Amino acid sequence: MTSMIEEKLLTRNLEVENLYKIEIYQKYDGYKALKKALLQMTPEQILEEVKKANLRGRGGAGFPAGLKWSFVPKDTHKPKYLCVNADEGEPGTFKDRFIMTNNPHLLIEGIIITCYCVGIHTAFIYIRGEYEHVAQRLETAIKEAYKKNYLGDNILKTNFSLNLYIHRGAGAYICGEETALLESLEGKRGHPRLKPPFPASVGLYKCPTVINNVETISNIPIIVLKGGEWFVKKGLPNDGGTRLFSVSGSVKNPGVYELPTGTNLKDIIFNYAGGMKEGRTLKAVIPGGLSAPILREDEIDIPMDCESLMKVNSMLGSSAIIVIDDRTPIIDVLRVIVNFYAHESCGQCTPCRNGTWWMKNIVHRICNGYGKISDIDNLLRIANNICGKTLCPMGDAASMAVRGVLEKFRQEIEDYIKKR
Amino acid sequence: MIKITINGKNYKVKEGLTILEASKQVGIEIPHFCYHPALESEGSCRMCLVEIKGVPKLQLACSTPIKDGMEIETENERVIEARKAVLEFLLAGHPLDCPICDKAGECKLQDYYYKFGLFEDRFEEEKPKRDKLFRIAPNLIYDQERCILCTRCVRFLREITKTGELGVLNRGKESLISIYEQELIENNYSGNLADICPVGAITDIDFRFKIRTWFLERKKSICPICSRGCNINIHFLSPSFPFKVEKRVFRITPEPNVKINGYWICNLGRYNYHYIDNDRILHPLKRNGELKQISWEEFYEDIGNKIKILIRRKKEEKIGVIVNLSLTNEEYETLEIFFNKCIPGTEIITFGKKSGKEDNFLLTEDRNANRKGAGKYRFKEKKIDILKFLNKKELVIFFGHEITEHCNIQLLSEALKDIKTKVLIASNKGPLINLVDYILPSTVIAEKEGSFTNSQGITQKFYRVLEPLGESRPEIEILTSLAQKSGIWRNFLMTRRAG
Amino acid sequence: MSLKFSPQIEKEINKIIKNYPQKQSALLSILHLAQKEFGYISEEVERLVAQILDIKPIRVREVVTFYTMFHQRPVGKYHIKVCRNISCSINGAEELIDYISEKLGIKVGETTPDKKFTLSVVECLGACEHAPCMQVNSEYYGNLDKKKIDLILERLNNDIND
Repeated sequence: MTSMIEEKLLTRNLEVENLYKIEIYQKYDGYKALKKALLQMTPEQILEEVKKANLRGRGGAGFPAGLKWSFVPKDTHKPKYLCVNADEGEPGTFKDRFIMTNNPHLLIEGIIITCYCVGIHTAFIYIRGEYEHVAQRLETAIKEAYKKNYLGDNILKTNFSLNLYIHRGAGAYICGEETALLESLEGKRGHPRLKPPFPASVGLYKCPTVINNVETISNIPIIVLKGGEWFVKKGLPNDGGTRLFSVSGSVKNPGVYELPTGTNLKDIIFNYAGGMKEGRTLKAVIPGGLSAPILREDEIDIPMDCESLMKVNSMLGSSAIIVIDDRTPIIDVLRVIVNFYAHESCGQCTPCRNGTWWMKNIVHRICNGYGKISDIDNLLRIANNICGKTLCPMGDAASMAVRGVLEKFRQEIEDYIKKR
Repeated sequence: MIKITINGKNYKVKEGLTILEASKQVGIEIPHFCYHPALESEGSCRMCLVEIKGVPKLQLACSTPIKDGMEIETENERVIEARKAVLEFLLAGHPLDCPICDKAGECKLQDYYYKFGLFEDRFEEEKPKRDKLFRIAPNLIYDQERCILCTRCVRFLREITKTGELGVLNRGKESLISIYEQELIENNYSGNLADICPVGAITDIDFRFKIRTWFLERKKSICPICSRGCNINIHFLSPSFPFKVEKRVFRITPEPNVKINGYWICNLGRYNYHYIDNDRILHPLKRNGELKQISWEEFYEDIGNKIKILIRRKKEEKIGVIVNLSLTNEEYETLEIFFNKCIPGTEIITFGKKSGKEDNFLLTEDRNANRKGAGKYRFKEKKIDILKFLNKKELVIFFGHEITEHCNIQLLSEALKDIKTKVLIASNKGPLINLVDYILPSTVIAEKEGSFTNSQGITQKFYRVLEPLGESRPEIEILTSLAQKSGIWRNFLMTRRAG
Repeated sequence: MSLKFSPQIEKEINKIIKNYPQKQSALLSILHLAQKEFGYISEEVERLVAQILDIKPIRVREVVTFYTMFHQRPVGKYHIKVCRNISCSINGAEELIDYISEKLGIKVGETTPDKKFTLSVVECLGACEHAPCMQVNSEYYGNLDKKKIDLILERLNNDIND
């Protein structure tokens, strides 16, 4: 199926040089949405539009943004916070880096409107530590925004004030999980918290907090400008707008592709990303970042939206498409997966801490030539024992990623074990 | 009160409890490692997962509040499978140290495995090798291999003592508990860490390798080291131990009491139990040039006669009694009847152990077990000229050695030389041993029954835990028997009955 | 304790602390600055930072040992961090890691004797469209092959920074 209207929402104007500079950004409708929001709309009206837009979280969980914002108690004496999740740790994902580097003001504008809508006066961008230069670019953009009174006290001469700060992480995938992000922002180890209570009521410094992904927030200006109904039509009825697909792996043209939610996966790979590299055939695709269960080459004729992928026991996740070719032994994929989760496990809860370590050791033993066929069933059993019993979703992610590979490529792994 | 259903049965319980607390109240145990009633919920061990009807994922019993009409399953197949999974994960990373681990017999990991596990070992990888003798306190050793990262120890030091010596370092399976550099835990409550560690990761050096837990019995008592009156458990050698040993008491642990000591005791109370078995006075002794063993009967005859004579001569003021502040309420009552009521004119003074520093938690400045109880019977510590008191006395009875903390031992020795008869009634050896004529063995707190009134005014009864060592007897028995031989028996009985 | 931040950095630290309602939040930012200033986070640095934030040193060490970007030991002038995650792995990262290791004569985790290069492997750097990639200090290098690596290492060796 070919894609629908190919209108660019998030990646519009990207061909303009120096779009990251505020003077250029402003020339191309920059901060127009902010002016409309603050001067012509009420917070309730903005929330209505965001709800109508059916904007789902773009970080991986896919939770509807409007609904999340409405969980924040309206009558509270505590300060409220916004944390923008720019941790982007899901392997295969680089779309947020893309936005923040090329169009930081789009994100900033989205942040200001979001805060105005929810009644927030302090916002943080939690950006992964490795993105040092991206953070610098954001700092510069923020300073520019302050100069133009888009940030600070009495923005655009209204009573709305907002301070925005950059907070750098320091190398921990788990800090992409919202409650671990809060712990990290508070200057502690990134240990996820028990939920309930949810961050909307008990979040940063125990105050009501909204946490959203960079891409999610970056969609807010266009929703304000064009309305929620317009936005929803750019995608699917219950999953509105476009998505930034990070395509990488064995394709000719890896990169960020903005396409309507629901675009066919095969389409994205072959019609947009240039198809396979010279001389390679497609073997498997991981559709939503490393945590999304792998798909075989006969399963990729599928629309890229939350529901469709859930139906086949995978997930849209961070919309990161990793294309694996026939030259990559699946055991390598398995090894990357178990190494990653064992390395990134925070260590707090028993199943993830010991389970990811155990799985890693088994896979390494297999790679060293001492594997047994029964190891496969043992791995599946361990993965099942982790799933649903951990403190945070990372345990489930590790479990599902491993299970996906073992269930769909069992034969190849058995052959590998027998040969070695 | 709200209604909940657990394993098919209906219960009415108070609102505001967690599933784990509510279950405990109705007698259903839900296994757990990281949960502790005195600490904030952590939810990281995942052992207490239970099934709630209508909720797809298993939920933690330790942190999920009960709701009216909730239906909970704690023993169905799904829950047992989850427990097995958690146990298997813990055991996979745990060294099989049971044969050399002190915790064996009281280890939660062992207990739960026997109750819910009993699965075969499917772990074939190498277990991590770590430091097994990491000293975290002068009295504690931390075994990095056995630790299951329940973080009870870290939370205890952050929430209860508020000293925060421990932290969690590294990440994932490399995680460990640690002190900072060489900064050992030196607060007065570190001993509790070995109690709350569910496995043998933190062990107490005082107890290490001494005895197997199944050879110990335990009975409740009260700690006599200060006036808090913390409830304790005295762990003593069970008769089932096949070898003859001198030592009876092997350790002291806290007995929970919400009003007095919560779940804890201080190190002073925990480690000062050696007086129960060591340096005891075992037999009545009389000094005739040198010390000779006598019988209790001989003592009662001797001293009883002396008292009779002094009463007949109307020289009651020549009797001096020095009382301490660690006798039971019943013993103070008896002392009051014996001397104040039956032999009015006897001079009685009171000396307690010297005060120490309090620690803003349980340990009080007052280091006497029953000052308040003594005070009720008008035995109060006063500033007194001891030499003046002893001057012209013919019979002096000391209860305990406390007086030596309040005066110069040389001067005391000189003053005592002039006194005809000097009696010491004490449980342990001390400075007065060489200065008196009669030495009578009394029992320690653990060997008698009675009641103490603590600094908060709460009176607690305690019961005999151990049999009296040697020929020692409780002070109340000694006084009662002495009364029979002192010519005051009828009066004594009548006053006691009237009181 | 003689260790102190330079006045410039101290000024920045004070500014950062003001950004947060609670002091401890500034910990990660301060540790980044400390690592830049002192090269690595030693016990002295931990105590200094703990003092500034009014927290116990163990809390600082908890954080230092949790996050991969903080080092408790000195690293070379150029810290080479090669990604070993999925897209880079598909595009030959393992081979390149071996190649760099051989070229510099050190194993993963080690530093060259002249203290110029340290080689590490890391998880996804978020630049998969340029796989295989590596990060040297704060710079990203992508679309690597043996030739490119030769060129990069030579330039770094001569301290020519891009």
